[in-house]
Amino acid sequence: MPYMPKQLIVDYTKCTGCRICELACSAKKEGVFQPSLARLKIVKYDDLGVDVPNVCGPCEEAPCVDVCPVYAMRRDPITKMVYLDEDKCILCKSCVGACVNGVIQLDTISMHIIKCDHCDGDPECVKMCPTGAITYGTPAQSAVVDRHEKMEKYLSEIRRTAEAQ
Amino acid sequence: MGKILRVNLSDETVSIDKLPTEWIEDYIGGDGFAARLLYEEVPGGVDSLSPVNKLIIATGPITGTLWPMSGRTVFVSKAAQTGIWGESHVGGFLGPELKYAGYDMLVIEGAAEKPVYIAIEDDLVEIRDAKCFWGMKTDEATEAIKKQHRDANMQVAAIGPAGEKQVRFSSVIVNHARAAGRTGMGAVLGSKNVKAIGIRGHGAVSVAHHDEFMELAKQAHQRVRTDPQAQEMGRWGTWILTAVKQEIGELPTFNHRTGVFEGWEGLSGDYIRPRYTVSDRACFGCSLGCKKVNYVRTGPYAGTLEEGPEYEGLMSFGSLLGISDYPTTLKANEICNKYGMDIISAGATIAFAIEAFEQGLIDTDVTGGLELEWGNSEQIIELLKMIGEKQGFGGLLSLGSKGAAEEIGRGTEQYAMHVKGLEISGQDGRTHRSIGLAHATGARGADHLRSLVTVDQLGYEDVAAERWGADKLPEIINPYTEKYKAAAVVETENAYCLRDTLIVCWYSVSWPPIFWVEDFAEMLPLATGIDSFGDTEGLNEIAERQVTLKRLFNAREGITREDDNLPDRFTKVPMPEGPGKGQTVDLDPMLDDYYRLRGWDCETGLPSDETIERLNLSWTKKYQ
Repeated sequence: MPYMPKQLIVDYTKCTGCRICELACSAKKEGVFQPSLARLKIVKYDDLGVDVPNVCGPCEEAPCVDVCPVYAMRRDPITKMVYLDEDKCILCKSCVGACVNGVIQLDTISMHIIKCDHCDGDPECVKMCPTGAITYGTPAQSAVVDRHEKMEKYLSEIRRTAEAQ
Repeated sequence: MGKILRVNLSDETVSIDKLPTEWIEDYIGGDGFAARLLYEEVPGGVDSLSPVNKLIIATGPITGTLWPMSGRTVFVSKAAQTGIWGESHVGGFLGPELKYAGYDMLVIEGAAEKPVYIAIEDDLVEIRDAKCFWGMKTDEATEAIKKQHRDANMQVAAIGPAGEKQVRFSSVIVNHARAAGRTGMGAVLGSKNVKAIGIRGHGAVSVAHHDEFMELAKQAHQRVRTDPQAQEMGRWGTWILTAVKQEIGELPTFNHRTGVFEGWEGLSGDYIRPRYTVSDRACFGCSLGCKKVNYVRTGPYAGTLEEGPEYEGLMSFGSLLGISDYPTTLKANEICNKYGMDIISAGATIAFAIEAFEQGLIDTDVTGGLELEWGNSEQIIELLKMIGEKQGFGGLLSLGSKGAAEEIGRGTEQYAMHVKGLEISGQDGRTHRSIGLAHATGARGADHLRSLVTVDQLGYEDVAAERWGADKLPEIINPYTEKYKAAAVVETENAYCLRDTLIVCWYSVSWPPIFWVEDFAEMLPLATGIDSFGDTEGLNEIAERQVTLKRLFNAREGITREDDNLPDRFTKVPMPEGPGKGQTVDLDPMLDDYYRLRGWDCETGLPSDETIERLNLSWTKKYQ
């Protein structure tokens, strides 16, 4: 595999909200089925019929790296992947609060920071996603730029109809 | 080890029982456990709406895992609508959450004095005041409870105004639009003064052999994704059925009077999807994603944004009432979801009223001034809301078609299309004999989900030969003959029973099945570590045991062969038009076969002593 920047690319319009990614992630990383410890999160809007996968990255600036007081959170300069050096981590949870996607968390049972590592370049969530809502590719392959395109479309349509009535 | 969480509302106590391990080999889990528990703990003859009745929410051994379509849950209780065995399965995300919270089953007992809701957050289980939620629609209550707990990931099962007012066919709604619809589970919760159940779990579910299970589950997902029928289902949902049903003359129209509907095209997937569908959604762990979110842009129902309806909703608020307008069915579905009502029974009950009015058996004195007529969208939507609120004529219809007909009398009973009090779903035995038998014998009444043989209806010769033996061809796949139909119904009922025990979605075993008993036999030992589940014969016996146990439950309530019947419309009035023109159902020969295959007495329709002995059900005698 060529050594180049890759990221998890999300197409919100394709997500059905099935949470197979959460199951697959926890099955691979924890050896059990436990969505609460998955490294990504489907945010569901049942009232609108919208599901939004929140994954690690892509971040232009990585706040989790900037905020870490002990430089345990680091970023590979080439792949741009952020990874955690567990030996250095002091469990201060600064990264948990700083993550703009809300996908870093503290496992309070094992006392470890839980953070996506893109499965070392072969992400399980991508392999298991039934609709291709999550893919893995270079930044240039990212077709969906606007994070909230799907919901914006809905809301504007609802507003439009409300005005028409 | 599994746990049963018991919440007693009368003494406001919470307790945890160990899952009886001696049940596992005989009942597996899910539906089976619930059946055993309900049989033991709810005595015969009690009022479904009394505090003695219990409501069970059960999960299966693979709930919460990655097995395809395993995110379902079952509500079990003595049914409010029928007074017999009641179960209602629901998709969404509730069951896995209960598993992650650490419980296999939740048993709600007694009744609260004032409105409450049950909040489960892992080990913390509380009975909390729900005064401020009472009266809310299901979606409002769901959001309000999530807000109360400051947790958007809480899974909420809520009843609406219909459940609070104990409308006989009221439902429990999960995730805004997934319904435990049939048999009146909402009314049971309403009678216990329970507005909702909120569940949040952070724990794990594990299987006996993780790696092997994962390997198999991934292959299984791949099968779902590459199955051409499943792909169609993912695209169209059950709407795919409208055109098929019309073609074979089995689209219930005008209160099951005929099976052909002129305006069917407006209710077909081809018409709806490009015009109304805005999003495809799935239940927990499902690769298929058959749920459709739809939006109406123009017309009287502009602005309606709602999931569904399924084929059954298209039928019950479409062809059954002479409506060919899709937005009306979407609006009806929205009202049913918000008020918490079963869309099949609601539509069928309105159809009953319209036909009785048309035939002059009821007049405007009874209907409160409504001039009922087929196809009048506005009037039907209004009447549906009245049922949800139990207002005026709606109060009478809230009893369901059987209850309303008994109340009105005047010969209206002939237009109440139900079996054992449960309204008939969107099939017709006249054009599909095996479903006639299944409607008549289903444990919860006229039901398409206990045994819906599709192999005969769609003519899959190879599957039929493989499953039931080539010697039974061609009769067994001829939908217009009674011959061999009981064999097909029994085999399918057993497989579906296992489906409800695991619990998996019925689309994984539907037409033609993606998974069948042998697939479950391959998976179950990996999930549970119990090797005996690897034997399909053994699994079939477990299924047989459960079907017979549910029958014993009904027998205790006085059900016999006489109740395994269909309305005269199906047995005496020939299908007036379409491919099945002239057909009627001859139930008796099929019933004889069915009882024989089940080991039940042909005269009474009750399980024989030998069968009870053979299936290790002798313990039931203690509770008679």
